[in-house]
Amino acid sequence: MATKVLICDDSNFARKQMARSLPDGWEVDITFAGNGEEALQAIKAGQGEVVFLDLTMPVMDGFETLENIKVNDMNALVIVVSGDIQPEARQRVKNLGAIDFIKKPINKAKAELILKEYGIL
Amino acid sequence: MNQALNVKVTEEQRDCYQEISNVAMGQAADLLARLLHVHVILPIPVVNLLEVNELRMALSGIESSNSVSGVCQGFIGNGISGEALLIFNDASFNDISKLLKYGGELDTSLELELLMDTANILIGACLRGIAEQLDVVFSQGHPIVLGQHVNLNDLVQANNYRWSKTLAIEINYKIEGFDINCDLLLLFAEDSIDSLNEKVNFLLED
Amino acid sequence: MSNTSADDFKEMHALMSMLQNLDVGLVILDRNYHIQLWNSFMESHSGKYPYEVKGKSIFTEFPEINEEWFRHKAESVFLLNNRAFTTWEQRPYLFKFKNYRPITGKAEFMFQNSTLIPLGSADGNVERIGIIIYDVTDIAVNRVELKSVNDELKRLSRTDKLTQLYNRGYWEECLDKEFKRCKRTGSTSSMLMFDIDHFKKVNDAYGHPTGDEVIKTTANILRETMRETDIAGRYGGEEYVVILINANAEQAFNFAERLRERIAKTVVHHLDFSVNYTVSLGICEISDKIVNHSQWIEMSDQGLYRSKEAGRNTSTIYT
Repeated sequence: MATKVLICDDSNFARKQMARSLPDGWEVDITFAGNGEEALQAIKAGQGEVVFLDLTMPVMDGFETLENIKVNDMNALVIVVSGDIQPEARQRVKNLGAIDFIKKPINKAKAELILKEYGIL
Repeated sequence: MNQALNVKVTEEQRDCYQEISNVAMGQAADLLARLLHVHVILPIPVVNLLEVNELRMALSGIESSNSVSGVCQGFIGNGISGEALLIFNDASFNDISKLLKYGGELDTSLELELLMDTANILIGACLRGIAEQLDVVFSQGHPIVLGQHVNLNDLVQANNYRWSKTLAIEINYKIEGFDINCDLLLLFAEDSIDSLNEKVNFLLED
Repeated sequence: MSNTSADDFKEMHALMSMLQNLDVGLVILDRNYHIQLWNSFMESHSGKYPYEVKGKSIFTEFPEINEEWFRHKAESVFLLNNRAFTTWEQRPYLFKFKNYRPITGKAEFMFQNSTLIPLGSADGNVERIGIIIYDVTDIAVNRVELKSVNDELKRLSRTDKLTQLYNRGYWEECLDKEFKRCKRTGSTSSMLMFDIDHFKKVNDAYGHPTGDEVIKTTANILRETMRETDIAGRYGGEEYVVILINANAEQAFNFAERLRERIAKTVVHHLDFSVNYTVSLGICEISDKIVNHSQWIEMSDQGLYRSKEAGRNTSTIYT
């Protein structure tokens, strides 16, 4: 069965770049979200088993989204994909329950490495 | 001959510039965070194609009544050229001097050191981040002090601009827990925008 | 194959001699700030040969470099793998090189801009830094000269030629600023206006050159009597004004009396004449009644008028 992947980023370009970086041959069903609120709705609707989440976004940013996922005990493996690569941002998202952190810009190698590491692939 | 160039940036391209800036400013912020042991609050970069005489409007992060200091630095490479402007709200210097740990009284010359140190990091790292993503190399000219303790309008309007349009990327940096506010403005020359768009289209395609 | 490597070698050789002849300074430092490379620009200006400085610490060879400052800049290049720039406006020079143009060189030392470049190894660690030194003496000297010319023009446009006090226009600007400052901060300042008694008679009796001498002497006494923070101007022919910062009416009155007594005691010797003269003074402290700086002047003038009415050589506080 195809894995439900949710890609959440305010940039259309970043969403596409993320989708293109997913490993070839991985059977996925991709949903896109433009901000945290849309992401939460998609996860509720069962579209986000694996979530690639950006941090700096309008409406609801990545930190708030993670908090919501944690508080509401939603079932989603969240990997943060962000340009904010400061040590503190990394620590903060891990504390909020993200399984890992990928530095932007994303590419195939980075995505595959992390998906394998967590046994998702 | 000063022919009006018909430059355009589509919504898709604008989004791509914004994302590229987002990644580049993150890299710059990371360096600053490591040097100062602070957390830099990252904004969403603002990308606009604007008339050069509307430049003042691009500096939305700083109020016009504030006294400011600024430096600028030219860059060029692969048919793309422009200028980076770093503008500090003068009220920021108190807190920056605490962070950069220079001894001595905060005077105009110490402020200049702080301004140059921050400019070296933010401008250098941002330009490198953008260049890497676009797969180009920029060489940087020597920074020039635009002015210290001046009115924002005097700082950006003193010149006779040769371009009419510019692609402006504004990044407003703030540091968590400190009263530090600076605006980094990357201005791409009108005749560079076509080359830039080509690079961006290449990213959008593949 | 061998042909290509010979070509490469030639090209490399050409490039090296270009670098040697470049009119900018090139220095490479290792992680311990020891000099690794030293081009001919550096050799010519410092008088030190590459073999003399190679492997030596830049700080011991060039004690003029402010070590703390330079390390501050260089460490960020090593740590962050990021370029740094310094300009002559921060420090005139990194290396203290004499200005080498004996005729047209206007500065004693070479003004320098410098660029610090990280030189990395394959693993991304910065092991050495390159320094490029640019001679910007001409730019710096021109800028400094332009600024001093502008400053002088500004000073001239504000100054009264005869007395070297501020002229009326600039002095009024100062008063307007002080008026607004007092209103904003609630502080108290006073203004003083005075003129020379029967000045027309001085001119008629001794001639204009002697009259001018009296006006100059009065300005000199005023300068000697006032505090550095006070702002004095020549308001008209024989009329003077002073802003007494943070002084109330009583303090201003004491100042006025001291000034009046000094002037009354003074004898101006000019040509064959000896002139003894007096002044009348009016004082006005800032108050809520005053709505702008012009009104402040008018009220001080009223004080002066009352001193004249009272028989001259007197100070009066306008209330």
